[in-house]
Amino acid sequence: MSDEPTETADAAEDGGAVVERTRRRFPSWSRAVESEWFVVGATTVAVALFPWLFARAPVVSDLLNGYQDLASLILIWGIFAMGFNLLLGYTGLLSFGHAAFWGGAAYAAGLFSTQVSSSPLLIVAAGTVFAALLAWVLGFVALRRGGIYFAILTLAFGQMMYYMALSPLSGITNGENGYTDVEVGQLFGSFHLRYPVPGLDWLLGTWQYVFVGAITVLCVALAYRVLNSPYGMVFRAIRENEQRAEFVGLNVWRYKLMAFIISGSLAGVAGSLFTIHGSYVPLESLYWTTSGEVVIMAVLGGVGSLFGPILGAGLYLYVENITSGIRELTVPLTDVVLLDGFGAYWHLILGLVFVAVIVLFPRGIWGLFRDVAAGIRRLGGGRR
Amino acid sequence: MVLLETRGLTKSFGGLVAVDGVDLAIEEGESISVIGPNGAGKSTLINLVTRMLDPTAGEIEFKGESITGYEPHEVVQKGVSRSFQTASIFPELSVEENAQIASLAAEHGSFRLNFLRHRDNYGEVEASAREILDAVDLLGQRNVTAEDLPYGDKRRLELAIALASEPDLLLMDEPTAGMSPEETAATVRLIERVKEELGLTILLVEHDMEVVFNVADRIVVLHRGAVIAEGAPEEVQGDPEVQEAYLGGVEA
Amino acid sequence: MFLVADGVVLVVALDRVITILLNGLQQGAIYVLVAIGLSIILGTLKFVNFAHGALYLIGTYAGLLVTLQIQPTGGRLADWGYATLGLGWGFLAALVIVPVVVFVVGLLMERFVARPFYDRPDTDQILLTFGLAIVVQEVFKILFGGQSYNFARPAWASGPVHLPVVGAFPEWRLYVIGITAVVVVLVYALIEYTDFGLVVRAGTRDAEMVQLLGIKLSRPYLMVFGVGAALAGVAGVVGGPLYAVNPNIGTEVLVPSFLVVVIGGVGSITGAVLGGILIGETLAILVAVAPQWSQVGIYLLAAIVLLARPQGLLGTEEVAP
Repeated sequence: MSDEPTETADAAEDGGAVVERTRRRFPSWSRAVESEWFVVGATTVAVALFPWLFARAPVVSDLLNGYQDLASLILIWGIFAMGFNLLLGYTGLLSFGHAAFWGGAAYAAGLFSTQVSSSPLLIVAAGTVFAALLAWVLGFVALRRGGIYFAILTLAFGQMMYYMALSPLSGITNGENGYTDVEVGQLFGSFHLRYPVPGLDWLLGTWQYVFVGAITVLCVALAYRVLNSPYGMVFRAIRENEQRAEFVGLNVWRYKLMAFIISGSLAGVAGSLFTIHGSYVPLESLYWTTSGEVVIMAVLGGVGSLFGPILGAGLYLYVENITSGIRELTVPLTDVVLLDGFGAYWHLILGLVFVAVIVLFPRGIWGLFRDVAAGIRRLGGGRR
Repeated sequence: MVLLETRGLTKSFGGLVAVDGVDLAIEEGESISVIGPNGAGKSTLINLVTRMLDPTAGEIEFKGESITGYEPHEVVQKGVSRSFQTASIFPELSVEENAQIASLAAEHGSFRLNFLRHRDNYGEVEASAREILDAVDLLGQRNVTAEDLPYGDKRRLELAIALASEPDLLLMDEPTAGMSPEETAATVRLIERVKEELGLTILLVEHDMEVVFNVADRIVVLHRGAVIAEGAPEEVQGDPEVQEAYLGGVEA
Repeated sequence: MFLVADGVVLVVALDRVITILLNGLQQGAIYVLVAIGLSIILGTLKFVNFAHGALYLIGTYAGLLVTLQIQPTGGRLADWGYATLGLGWGFLAALVIVPVVVFVVGLLMERFVARPFYDRPDTDQILLTFGLAIVVQEVFKILFGGQSYNFARPAWASGPVHLPVVGAFPEWRLYVIGITAVVVVLVYALIEYTDFGLVVRAGTRDAEMVQLLGIKLSRPYLMVFGVGAALAGVAGVVGGPLYAVNPNIGTEVLVPSFLVVVIGGVGSITGAVLGGILIGETLAILVAVAPQWSQVGIYLLAAIVLLARPQGLLGTEEVAP
């Protein structure tokens, strides 16, 4: 106790070197960027502009070759990937069975539309509730074993759902043909989803896009709020050091179950929208490859961020639907053929890119962007 | 009043008995140190008390209540906190968040359904985290990413995490392992200070005899999982059986 | 049905029962071979190999090409003008050559894929091997096409054999059971009685005990991976003639094999055998009794085992709470 001053001096000394390394804060701008209203507002604007830029804007859309339907599909998968990433990126749990929630909700939504109500909002609500309950049950079993077993068990139970729909339940699900009797009614009883939005169809396209877009914004807001609630901190604590989290007195198991349920529910929202979008539920929506696709999307886009997986979903679907149609890969502006039958290689190329991302950029494309942006900012701030 | 009591606590791994029928009683406000050669079962003992491991036999009571069937987080919620041999922190979170997680668990219990409530609404968590960081002299580095701290500060942060859980009993597993003599001295002062300020009861597992003699009121010597001597530091030091146990073992 | 007291009916039922049980044994045999590799790699190296199915895939195609000569259609190889491919050396040659080939592939995989990732989080290991599995599968799809090839059973084992009580039974299935049994006994001896096996046994026991005993586990990780891979190769060769050969078989065999590991307990060879037989028999019995539930049944079995005994039937490790 008598040496008190020495100790403080020590602390100040090694503290000094470290403070040097902390990020300098850009008070007004960075706080604005991190505020909830900014995030929701920016998402709304981006969602509103997206179909126009993608499918109709001059020059840009010609380059992109996009179309309206793909724009809504990208948002739907974006919700799925974002929900999946709450688990992988923030809680550190890798699920290989998220097809169960996506496909399960898709079937639940489809059945609900025929049996109960064709109101789009109620369809989504029904699918989501189903996914949440399913996540509760499956999480209860899959989370009994930690770490590596979780991936294996979620994969296994996802496959169980697939085989359930294929055979024992084929009387309800229509087996391998997929569920075809989906009935989608009008939004709030007055807006037909397939009709263009009067006056704004150049921007938004159909009411269906408005519906999907609004739910996307809502899901982003919800996920952002969860990450900024105590849960967000606990999830990251579990990812960083699960044992420590348990030994500060947190019920890690229940928080993991909650992460699984929230993540599964968002997958359920997306799956229900997928049913509305296509008026059809393919059996493959429950197959493990669907789980694999969402894993690839999230990792490509970047698991360390909220928006990375949405970007990844866009990229994946873009390559799948547009790039895969390219017959020959040529050197730009010439007729020199680099790769004949390019379309057949898209899956392999995605696989190779996926492996490269894991080895070289574990934070994905979004992380790469942020590193570049941080680099530029550091250059700009170098004058101090 | 007896805070922690173990009766016949035993743990065997396969054929190997790591902890063998240990009876231990720690009075409130006491500082007790468990020493012994490598492999004597010291860490296993801490792991048993904090419910990281299931005992093969025996009873553990805390505040007169059996905690033998508890989950680790329930033990922490009852008031037993621990530090680990290696600095066990949340590396990619800031120093402040590290402490906040522990404060959150202390203020809110082990689980709550508050995932739609913004973190900014929890002033008491922030306040108590800052108080603890101040106590261990890390407040100035609260925005630093934890993994960027120097090793000694990481250990201090770990202590802060353990303290932010608001324990009555603090178990420390070699808190000065891997530290320089200066860091060790600073840690000893820190332990003494927080003990006084927070009225903690301490169970310390340590190799460094200087630390042990500085901190402990009472020493328990473990050898091959069993208690072979127990008493005030001076008594234990002269015990022939203790010297025997250390002969040929790793020098403490 | 089986409990009818009338002697004739009982015999009719009995032959059916034994046929079902033999089918289950054969089905389980393939899973056992794949699962042992998964299990010792997971137990010793703490490495989850989602690309283990790819090793099976490589084993099957390699087996096909060593055994027979095929006419590739639909893939790039056909486009490039390869009208026939393969050595046509017969099945026994494949049974010797393919495990060696896949063993080498396993060594390469350990050295260049697994080893750089031992220090990365579990999730990164899984993601990496999952990516690798996709790449391997796509390469085969591009080269050989997505369609199925027929891996004909060797002529000397293609017909039915007449067993007492059972009657006619496909001879090949008996060979699968027999070959698997021999291989499993060999691997069991390897692990139980050699220095190499000591590492496997030590690594899969309680990690804390290993630390307490001061054992350093830095030795033949390479071998563990290679042996595990070779077993997947054997599975590919003997399993090839049972099912159609196409690029998806790797992942199709991977999921049930994981279940075998989970049910049997990580790192335990006898556990893998027990788990494999349980899953094979469950499948075979359900196929006979309630076919629409057959696939679902094995997952339910895994869930029940897991709830009752989280470490698996013969698993020894302690399960963290």
